Amino acid sequence: MAYSDKVIEHYEHPRNVGSLDKNDEGVGTGIVGAPACGDVMKLQIRVEGDVITDAKFKTYGCGSAIASSSLVTEWVKGMKLTDAMQIKNSQIAEELSLPPVKIHCSVLAEDAIKAAIADYQKKHGTPE
Amino acid sequence: MTVAAASLSTSDGGLEPFDPALDHFARLGLDRAWRVDRNALEDGYLDRSRRYHPDRHAGADAATRRAALEHSAALNEAYQVLRDRVRRAEYLVKLGGVDLDSSDPQTGAPHPEQSFLIEMIERRERLEAVSSGGTEALEQLRDEIEAELEQVFDAGVAALERGDTRAAAAELVHRRYLQRFNDEVGALLDELEAGSG
Repeated sequence: MAYSDKVIEHYEHPRNVGSLDKNDEGVGTGIVGAPACGDVMKLQIRVEGDVITDAKFKTYGCGSAIASSSLVTEWVKGMKLTDAMQIKNSQIAEELSLPPVKIHCSVLAEDAIKAAIADYQKKHGTPE
Repeated sequence: MTVAAASLSTSDGGLEPFDPALDHFARLGLDRAWRVDRNALEDGYLDRSRRYHPDRHAGADAATRRAALEHSAALNEAYQVLRDRVRRAEYLVKLGGVDLDSSDPQTGAPHPEQSFLIEMIERRERLEAVSSGGTEALEQLRDEIEAELEQVFDAGVAALERGDTRAAAAELVHRRYLQRFNDEVGALLDELEAGSG
């Protein structure tokens, strides 16, 4: 199966690979997995006020999963939490031209950012 | 029509219509169970593959030729799944109503607990340090993961045998994550060995 140029670009030059301190009060961590293939993804955000100022990820999976998480970290930097909550997997899939069999990779990235936001909100006692 | 083809088509005595609803066990004449008699599996496959082989029906009418193709393809698929113990276990789980290849929240693969996912990430993070210890450290890690794979698989089979599909599915999902990790360790080993060789 052919990967799109954008997927290959993110795969070869992933943005924001790394970790933030998960115990830091300003950091939210989302860890999610795709049971069908065994991919795992960690996505972290640093929040100041209601704005995401930094984002890091580590993804152990296929090129599409890496590209999806890389793209999301790029998107959310500078975004308000409420806007980041609105990111849809379909936007990720469209941006990366993911084929139908790889849509679940974009779902994983959406789940990861939502989980990271939920973790941050839990730390600050502001559940949805 | 050649004489050879005509004699072949008359020797087969026709084929039963293809039934797409048969499960893999029924297709091979086996009971639906984890324990499969190896000889019954091989014999069941060989007998049927001879009977369904499209070459035997090359001179038959179009419907029979089509049925022979469908029978053969489904038979091969059934055989490939049932002879592989992991695929067989996952297939039994699927027959029990849980499809590990699906992400459907009701009928798809169950999500493992968060602590397991965290562990899968942390073990990857430690892998960078392990791989600096050379092939020996990686081989040791691979042996450990392979032992875990066996353990988790055995737990899945035990759950299958007591008829607990959900528990079996959970174990087999753990197995898939571990298998993925093991594949990555294997790939690292290949790289190191290629580099030193």
